[in-house]
Amino acid sequence: MSGWEIFEVWVIAFFTLSLFSFMYKDNPFYKVAEHIFAGLSAGYYVGLIWESVIVQQLWDPMMGGDWWLVFPGILGFLMFARFFPKVSWVSRTPLAFVMGVTAGIFIISQLHGLVLPQMQATMGVVDDVNGFWDFLLATVVVVGVISTLIYFYFSKEHTGALGVTAKVGIWFIMISFGAHFGYTVMGRVSLLIGRVQFLVEDWVGSFSYIF
Amino acid sequence: MEFWKRIEGIDRRWIYLIVGIAVIVPFLLPIPFPISITPEAQMLYDHIESLPDSVTVMLVFDYYPSTIAECEPMARSALHQFWRKDCKIITLSNIPLGGPSMAETVTREIAPEYNKVYGEDYVNLGYKANYVAVLSGMGTSIRSIFPTDNSGTNLDDIPMMDSVFNYEQVSFIFEVADNATADYWVSIVNAQYGVPMGCGTTAVSAPKYYAFVGSGQFVGLLGGMKGAAEYELLVEKPGNAVIGMGAQSMVHLLIIALVILGNIGFFMLGKHRRRVS
Repeated sequence: MSGWEIFEVWVIAFFTLSLFSFMYKDNPFYKVAEHIFAGLSAGYYVGLIWESVIVQQLWDPMMGGDWWLVFPGILGFLMFARFFPKVSWVSRTPLAFVMGVTAGIFIISQLHGLVLPQMQATMGVVDDVNGFWDFLLATVVVVGVISTLIYFYFSKEHTGALGVTAKVGIWFIMISFGAHFGYTVMGRVSLLIGRVQFLVEDWVGSFSYIF
Repeated sequence: MEFWKRIEGIDRRWIYLIVGIAVIVPFLLPIPFPISITPEAQMLYDHIESLPDSVTVMLVFDYYPSTIAECEPMARSALHQFWRKDCKIITLSNIPLGGPSMAETVTREIAPEYNKVYGEDYVNLGYKANYVAVLSGMGTSIRSIFPTDNSGTNLDDIPMMDSVFNYEQVSFIFEVADNATADYWVSIVNAQYGVPMGCGTTAVSAPKYYAFVGSGQFVGLLGGMKGAAEYELLVEKPGNAVIGMGAQSMVHLLIIALVILGNIGFFMLGKHRRRVS
């Protein structure tokens, strides 16, 4: 491990421990780490966008002959009009383009790529019953989907058969929340494990090079 | 009853401390918890194994450095499996903070093990803003979105990219993500261009993506650190995820014990208060 690598490891360890110190109570170390992280992220992001979008995809191609890129360039520039109240209305033009393009792309892709295949797969479970366990699975899927959808049907009071079905729907939703919660715990613990792994292996490991 | 009152009023920092100890101990004294392989992880592994040798694949680093513990072992294992099959790998990222540099670090670290050369066997396209435009645009031309690789080398000067122009030349995409970009890979790339996809995702996102396995939009799925550990075992390269699962299991047991303890305390104190009143 070189001197520079040891320095890097110690800087990372310092910021990790500073952020963890918030679990005890708020303190200046935490605040310093938090502010540096926010500042660094913003600076890095601006630099990255400048290089990868403005330079590589606007300026360089324009200089190479794609002069028509000046139009999207102007539209993008007009976004900054929002900072000047008198001409802020100008920013609505590029926003209209963004809205139109986004809606056009998303409506098709969401319908074609998510809604229809998921509906098809749900119905496919019923279509593909082969034996008792498949039948049980298909029943759970059908009851689960219908009762959950009915729970979110608010145009009629949830009483009688509708109320009973909605209650079954709540059970399915709760089971789903339970699965999500279990996975979320695993995810959050993994974040901690990642940091502890770094501290134990890299940071503590660097002690042998120093002491 | 005094015990339950103490438990009820316990300072949460003691819980943080216990959880911290439960995470640290397995790293110092490894505890071998069994790791079973789920069908979704097996399906992903089998699909990649079934790919013809030497095809071009995409490995997408759509995760932030904060989720490295879950996502990086997936990416590393995928690199091992792809390169054992002599695949040509295109890496890219839709994550500005860290994505391209993590791809660079991991690929350059594993490449020498398989004698792989940058530009001939793998290429890192880096990052471009606006993932919807990026994913759609690559369907027409990868060069229109990424005129250069992450280091600024023109794609026309990279031998591996001579025969790769758009998704038609890509046989498989493995998306490692800690956010919703996987949705767009499914809805734009898989649905519109028909490229087979697998996904490795953080535990928080995993429940949502199981539906994509059921619908056949993903050939398989790795969910969180457990999924990463399974994949490490499948490629026979146990690493950080397998080690981390010891700590993961310890903390889960601790949380279950605390939930049970908290519930018993809640009912005991409730009963006691009703009796007193």
